[in-house]
Amino acid sequence: MKFSTKLRRTGVAALAVASLAGFTGTAHAQVDVPLVESGSSLLYPLFNLWVAGYTADHPSADITTTSSGSGAGIAQAIKGLVNIGASDAYLSNTLVKNNPTMLSIPLAISAQAVNYNLPGVTSLNLSGPILAGIYTGKITQWNDPAIAAANPGVNLPAHAIIPVHRLDGSGDTFIFSQFLAFSTPSWAQTLHFGTTVSWPAVTGELGGNGNSGVLAAVKANPYSLGYIGVSYAAKAAAAGLGVAALQDKHGEYVQPTSDTVAAAAASVAASTPADERISMIFSPGVNAYPIVNYEYAIVDSNQQAPAVAEAIRAFLSWAITEGNDPSYLSQVHFLPLPAAVQALSTTQINKIQ
Amino acid sequence: MTIRPFRLSVLTLSLFIPAALSAVVLFLVLYSGQAIFFNGLHFITDINWNLGDLYDDPVTVKGVLVPSGANYGIFVFIIGTLASSAIAILIAVPLSVGAAIFLAEAVPPKIRPVLSLLVELIAVVPSVVFGLWGIAVLVPFIGHYLSPTGNGYGLLAASIVLALMITPIIASTLLDSLMQVPKENRESAFALGATHFEVVSKAMMPMVRTTLVGGIVLALGRALGETMAVLMVSGGGINILPTSLFSPISTIASFVVSQLDSAQADPTNMSVRALSEVALVLFLITLAVNAAAKLIASGALNVRNRN
Repeated sequence: MKFSTKLRRTGVAALAVASLAGFTGTAHAQVDVPLVESGSSLLYPLFNLWVAGYTADHPSADITTTSSGSGAGIAQAIKGLVNIGASDAYLSNTLVKNNPTMLSIPLAISAQAVNYNLPGVTSLNLSGPILAGIYTGKITQWNDPAIAAANPGVNLPAHAIIPVHRLDGSGDTFIFSQFLAFSTPSWAQTLHFGTTVSWPAVTGELGGNGNSGVLAAVKANPYSLGYIGVSYAAKAAAAGLGVAALQDKHGEYVQPTSDTVAAAAASVAASTPADERISMIFSPGVNAYPIVNYEYAIVDSNQQAPAVAEAIRAFLSWAITEGNDPSYLSQVHFLPLPAAVQALSTTQINKIQ
Repeated sequence: MTIRPFRLSVLTLSLFIPAALSAVVLFLVLYSGQAIFFNGLHFITDINWNLGDLYDDPVTVKGVLVPSGANYGIFVFIIGTLASSAIAILIAVPLSVGAAIFLAEAVPPKIRPVLSLLVELIAVVPSVVFGLWGIAVLVPFIGHYLSPTGNGYGLLAASIVLALMITPIIASTLLDSLMQVPKENRESAFALGATHFEVVSKAMMPMVRTTLVGGIVLALGRALGETMAVLMVSGGGINILPTSLFSPISTIASFVVSQLDSAQADPTNMSVRALSEVALVLFLITLAVNAAAKLIASGALNVRNRN
């Protein structure tokens, strides 16, 4: 008796599954190859917007997005575990040498703010050498002569600085440390740049987990400062944090706005090489914000199946054209690729076979 | 006839757990072998951890290909782990002993199941919830009222969050065994004119000492290995030893999580091997703590038997 009920139940379930499968089968006669994207947590919200928009236009597309961090995105793309690795940083020379078929394809442009929590101060100028001094413990007080010289007329408090850094591996750490390395020779020689930095021992320095963790730590600690991806700009403003103007290559102090970020992108567009592995940090442009970067898709140009290659090409081509529309990018404060870079990315996408 | 297949299947199942454990240990040792060779003893005594320049060409050191400037030292994280767990235990033991005795002795039997269920419920709250509470409530509180620098992240915040997570573990194991103390022991102590305090401290607590130690070991295991909640409130100290309760720290488990992503982009793979060695050290520490606690527990047992 029991057995027969069980059998009947299983039968009903099987029938339901079968009818469901039949229904979806007839609805979309041609189902695309499923694609998996994984990597950068900064790109993750944008990928979700993109996949929603792309699937609306291409109902047969089947793309899964996951946020695992840039390093994991790179590693999984190289191992062939995911089709598209998302990364805030391009592949290193050694990785390219070891994996010559791997491509770094810019999809959009992002920037990073240096946010501060400084009671009584509403405008602050900082430079790469000042930030390098703060993060190495050479500049410890807000009224340090170096900071005072960059901020004439600002009443800087005599209070210890609390620097906040990312404690997880992060593309934000990559571009921030690259800014320090490119603008400050002593940083370049001792600490280099990377998604993780061996932060020097600075009393009181804090680590935050993720952009949200850094935001929380800067908000909770008056007299602190930290670097936060520009997609968190609205949250940082809501938390009452200031945005520092950073010194560009010409000595001017520049706020991160769509104009100054676009100026940085434009100044690098012409010199971007065919493999597009170039830093936009501390660019030579006039009135160009110094911490700007390409957001990359890490893809293997040598795909096993032609159908998979075609699906990746179709999606990435859409992402750098229709997907670069402000209706997507402005939601995460990203900027579109300049036309010259878009052409380079298209050439790279067409290499995926 | 049916005994033999039964015994066989039970044997297979029971061998599965030690086999899985051995496989994990074997993997950790084999995978981190190159890192163990490269690091030597410096690994546990050095306070400087540096993945090196992953964007520069790798260099050959001691015949092993490593990122230039790579230096793996985890002394800071060993101290962070032991200090935060020890302080957590110091906070949690009095709390949980008090809670268990209260629940066993002072609460009407009708309400007891409800309250003890609440205690057990705290034990199953996901650690990320504790972490969020830590960031939203505990860290600002410590920053405003306790810390001389105004910073709430660090050793104390991590220890308090850990203490809250492990208190229900100790309390519920202790409560269970307090409830099993024979009624006769309690009643004869009362009959001899003992006060309620003396009944609990002299007639009941000695009988549950082993359980208490067992509960503490379980709790310590969780505290040593806790990752997410610690990551969120510890301040992530690196290359610097804690000097006070308000110093930022990293524990071994949270440090592995924070470094793993960057390590995966290392073309030489040495970073991941070094992190695997870090995990091995955490495993050995947990093993040592458990073994020590077992010894203490059996010692406590012997003392009781002699009496």
